[in-house]
Amino acid sequence: MAALEIQNVRKTYGGKTEVLKGINISIEKGEFLILVGPSGCGKSTLMNSIAGLEEITDGAILIGGEDVSGRSPKDRDIAMVFQSYALYPSMNVRDNISFGLEMRKVPKDERTAEVERVAKMLQIEHLLDRKPSQLSGGQRQRVAMGRALARKPKIYLFDEPLSNLDAKLRVEMRTEIKKLHQNLGTTIVYVTHDQIEAMTLADRIAVMKDGIVQQFGTPQEIYDEPANIFVAGFMGSPAMNFIPVQIQNEGGGLVAKVTTRDGRTYSLPLGERGACLTNYVGKQVTLGLRPERVTQVNPHEVERADVMVLEAEIDMVEPTGPDTVMHIHLNGTEVSCRVAPDSAGKLGEKMNLMLDLSKAVFFDIESQARIG
Amino acid sequence: MVNQTAQSSMNWSRINRGLIYAVLLTAALFYLLPLVVMVLTSFKTMDDIRSGNLISWPTEFVFDAWSKAWSTACTGVRCEGVEGYFWNSVQIVVPAVLISTFLGALNGYVFTKWKFRGSELLFGLLLFGCFIPFQVVLLPMAQTLGLLGLANTTAGLVFVHIVYGMAFTTLFFRNFYINIPGELVKAAQLDGAGFFTIFWRILLPISGPIIVVTIIWQTTQIWNDFLFGVVYGSGDTQPITVALNNLVNTSTGVKEYNVHMAAAIIAGLPTLLVYVLAGKYFVRGLTAGSVKG
Ligand SMILES: Nc1ncnc2c1ncn2[C@@H]1O[C@H](COP(=O)(O)OP(=O)(O)OP(=O)(O)O)[C@@H](O)[C@H]1O
Ligand SMILES: [Mg+2]
Repeated sequence: MAALEIQNVRKTYGGKTEVLKGINISIEKGEFLILVGPSGCGKSTLMNSIAGLEEITDGAILIGGEDVSGRSPKDRDIAMVFQSYALYPSMNVRDNISFGLEMRKVPKDERTAEVERVAKMLQIEHLLDRKPSQLSGGQRQRVAMGRALARKPKIYLFDEPLSNLDAKLRVEMRTEIKKLHQNLGTTIVYVTHDQIEAMTLADRIAVMKDGIVQQFGTPQEIYDEPANIFVAGFMGSPAMNFIPVQIQNEGGGLVAKVTTRDGRTYSLPLGERGACLTNYVGKQVTLGLRPERVTQVNPHEVERADVMVLEAEIDMVEPTGPDTVMHIHLNGTEVSCRVAPDSAGKLGEKMNLMLDLSKAVFFDIESQARIG
Repeated sequence: MVNQTAQSSMNWSRINRGLIYAVLLTAALFYLLPLVVMVLTSFKTMDDIRSGNLISWPTEFVFDAWSKAWSTACTGVRCEGVEGYFWNSVQIVVPAVLISTFLGALNGYVFTKWKFRGSELLFGLLLFGCFIPFQVVLLPMAQTLGLLGLANTTAGLVFVHIVYGMAFTTLFFRNFYINIPGELVKAAQLDGAGFFTIFWRILLPISGPIIVVTIIWQTTQIWNDFLFGVVYGSGDTQPITVALNNLVNTSTGVKEYNVHMAAAIIAGLPTLLVYVLAGKYFVRGLTAGSVKG
């Protein structure tokens, strides 16, 4: 039985602006669902709809198999962290955290204990007597987390709960949330703009755009088999390379033709990955290749059938620390490559690069959907 | 060179400052003059008033006029001073202000955080109440009071002021609450709080500035009201403004200016006091908008 099932949910504001256009998502008990998507795509609206704070225009929301579409927020047993924190300005941190417990008639000593526990976990013990106006953005965010974590609801909704924390605290909190999820086994829906957060925390990711779920799947599925160019470009940093290529049949196998800027043409052997492209021979498709698949030449890999070495001029060099991102041009498009800092060439130099096509994906130029 | 410019700009700013203070002082004196005349006159004897001029210093400070105004001056047929009417006013103002402020807060809360179909229209209609001249509602209101059995009672006057004041108080609170993020209410809903709990525990505690503004506004309006008081109050329920009018118009030969002035000051004192005590909150409240955090 699904812990949370969103069935064909639509939401229209004021009779014309349709913000959610038929959302379908279903997650099992204890699963961690992450919603990602560009700003304004309707993530917060979907969260509010799940919580019952916005009435949905059409469709149904089921929690634990029960249709809760008509139920008031407090009867849905949900705790939420708002994007804007929404701390009660007149109450100190302690009261902010215990307000929900008080409303649910938890005895006083239990409330005190719970506040202590949550404050310790979130490292806000020293702030308990302060008012929200006396806290920094990151501290407020932690209090907002604390307010949700003090309760044990059926579902937690987190709307960008870590966006205002510094890098170190963010990593700590991420681990904390992961542990929390593993210990409590509570179902969580979580909105984030952070790729790493999405990949590390999620059991399932739903990628949204313009009120439509573009793809719903495990992080690895989303990363390796993106449903379309939008998803492929949205997940991963630096973004996936999209190279327009012509598919040809050469020597019994399919190849994609690429030309470097100085006019040399190579045939990239597609191997297994080309199996789905038989209908596209002689046509243009978009080749999707992640930057980490365009690297320095690793001698032990060059023998593989789906690997190809080519020489290209370096247009830009960006060291990131663990590796260096370089830009080259193939078929007139910029292509980013991820190479080990030691083997990175200099700007304007020519360098041999290895293209690994074992994870290459192909998109239809018209529909932008993945082929195969 | 640099020093010189700094010097001359400092001189200029001094001159500017002096000018500004001069203008402000003149304006303050101009506005204070009537009050000064009133206060001085109220401490004079009648002889003093007849012999001296308007702004001359009293030859001798006497409180006779004040005690007469308070307890023995004639307002129409009765000669018991304005004391009773003063308390009438208090009895009208206190409940009317408190109730209309509370209702305004509740209305503002509903109009911003619990919008329903047609709530904007309803608010628009309510706003009309701010622009309806008093005179228009006199007759229908008299009829209503008669039907409710409240004609010529203090309760009736309180009722009138609540109804008339609600348009303003609602407007004040609505404009204040509209700047308070709706997510506060949503968070409280998820925490399990209901309609009134959210109002009491979340919104009212942050409404201080606008409560002060509303109370000052309503107190001034209701205390100073004359028209409703003269129409709907009668005899011993009339407010002090009506009594003051009667006192001044009761002609028993000599016009006792000192008594009139004392009575007028008594009538104006409470609103003056409210401003002195809470005036700075008034300004602060008018400019306070959103509550961050
Ligand atoms: N009350 C409203 N009336 C009309 N349109 C609204 C309302 N609330 C939100 N919208 C619109 O709905 C769309 C989705 O908003 P939403 O807050 O869900 O975006 P989001 O995905 O959470 O974005 P972000 O990542 O910036 O938080 C936006 O285009 C927004 O302008
Ligand atoms: Mg949002």
